[in-house]
Amino acid sequence: MMQFPRIEEMVHTVDRSPEWRSILGGILTVLSVWVCLMLLPMRLPGMSLAGICPNWLLIWVVAWSLRRSVWQGISAGLVLGLLQDAMTEGEPTHALSLMAVGFLTSRIQKQRFLNEDFISVALVTFGMAVVAETVMALQFSLVGSRTLMDIWKHHQIIALSSAILSSLWAPVLYFPLNNLWKWSGIPED
Amino acid sequence: MFTVRRWWERFGTRTLLTGAAIGVALVLRQTQGAFLLESYQLITKPFQGSPDRAIQLENAQTIELQQRLTELQNRNQRLEELLGFNQTQKTKGIPAPVIGRSADHWWSHVILGRGRKDGVELNSVVMSPGGVVGRVNKVTDHASQVILLSDAFNQVGVTVSRTRATGVIKGQSGEKAGSQVIMEFFDKNVDVRRGDTVVTSSFSKKLPAGLPVGRVESVDMGKSPAPEAVIQLTAPIAALEWTSIFPNLPAEPETITPEAPPSPGTLTPSPKP
Repeated sequence: MMQFPRIEEMVHTVDRSPEWRSILGGILTVLSVWVCLMLLPMRLPGMSLAGICPNWLLIWVVAWSLRRSVWQGISAGLVLGLLQDAMTEGEPTHALSLMAVGFLTSRIQKQRFLNEDFISVALVTFGMAVVAETVMALQFSLVGSRTLMDIWKHHQIIALSSAILSSLWAPVLYFPLNNLWKWSGIPED
Repeated sequence: MFTVRRWWERFGTRTLLTGAAIGVALVLRQTQGAFLLESYQLITKPFQGSPDRAIQLENAQTIELQQRLTELQNRNQRLEELLGFNQTQKTKGIPAPVIGRSADHWWSHVILGRGRKDGVELNSVVMSPGGVVGRVNKVTDHASQVILLSDAFNQVGVTVSRTRATGVIKGQSGEKAGSQVIMEFFDKNVDVRRGDTVVTSSFSKKLPAGLPVGRVESVDMGKSPAPEAVIQLTAPIAALEWTSIFPNLPAEPETITPEAPPSPGTLTPSPKP
């Protein structure tokens, strides 16, 4: 550190001023969403189960909504759902499923029922993954472009695999993000 | 004696448990962890990929069929040239690496690392060694998204090349999702049996006719309203690494001269020995 006094100075400036911290926090938050999006089509070894990967955007929405108000949760779900639509196909939309996730996660009276540890984060993610895939399956059923039997058979497989994987990987995303948001003071409920 | 009993009362359970643990560990060590391996195999069984993937990749029968197909295709092309309808123009495919899979579990996509700048167009046909893989449904400058044959949404018209029985294929879910598709026939009485070659049909506008799709794995004649067959895809869709992209030329039956024999859709020879 001593060889780079200017960098050290910069770090101190950022760390002391709340404005800088929130700006940097905002940038890093956006960057984290981008990283999640980039992880979606990847099938890294150890990360996929029967060809199914963790739903990184869902984990992000859960991490965001756990300590925030209902509206913040819903809006995060909307934004990330639309982003996922962009990565795949827009019909039916992922926004509805992630909005449901944001809504439910922020409604959980976490302080009362769950402690803030990785077990509870994983548990919430597990449930929310099932909710998200069910909302998608319901939408598919309403659209009617696939047969009901196909949809619900498929739903069974992907809801379970995605829930298991997402809940296992949730802490990896939750803890850095949570620390970032605490440090930068991005508004919490 | 008294002290021994007191010691046993205090530490007995712990000692027994430790002893049992050491014993179990020793047994496992002596059997070289056979039990652990077996139980691990049992637990991971539902999540293991299809065991025939490696075999599938270098299936001798597939290679043999491919060679026979190439031979027949060449012969067919020469005959066509002799007859004077030079309809099949050989175009060079654009080699494209697979850089990603679908970002969601409801669709089966792959993302290819070639785009508009490399000459890829919307609806281009994507092939891999073994047969057709899918069709480009999104293009950007340097990447393209392909909707695979194994997608449950993507219905493609196919025909059994031996008997010209037609139907549509659609993807299925489950462990065989990437390697097998379901073919639904249009007719109630179809002549199809295990091992028949399935190619794209001329009824489908999504893909050019006559591209190899797969082989019939099993047939369910009792299925209502029409029989169904399970098709084993010849292209290793679950393990794709490189593909070639071909422009999707619209079928032009008008170019055939009146003297030509009257079956414009059947460009691929059926591999009859």
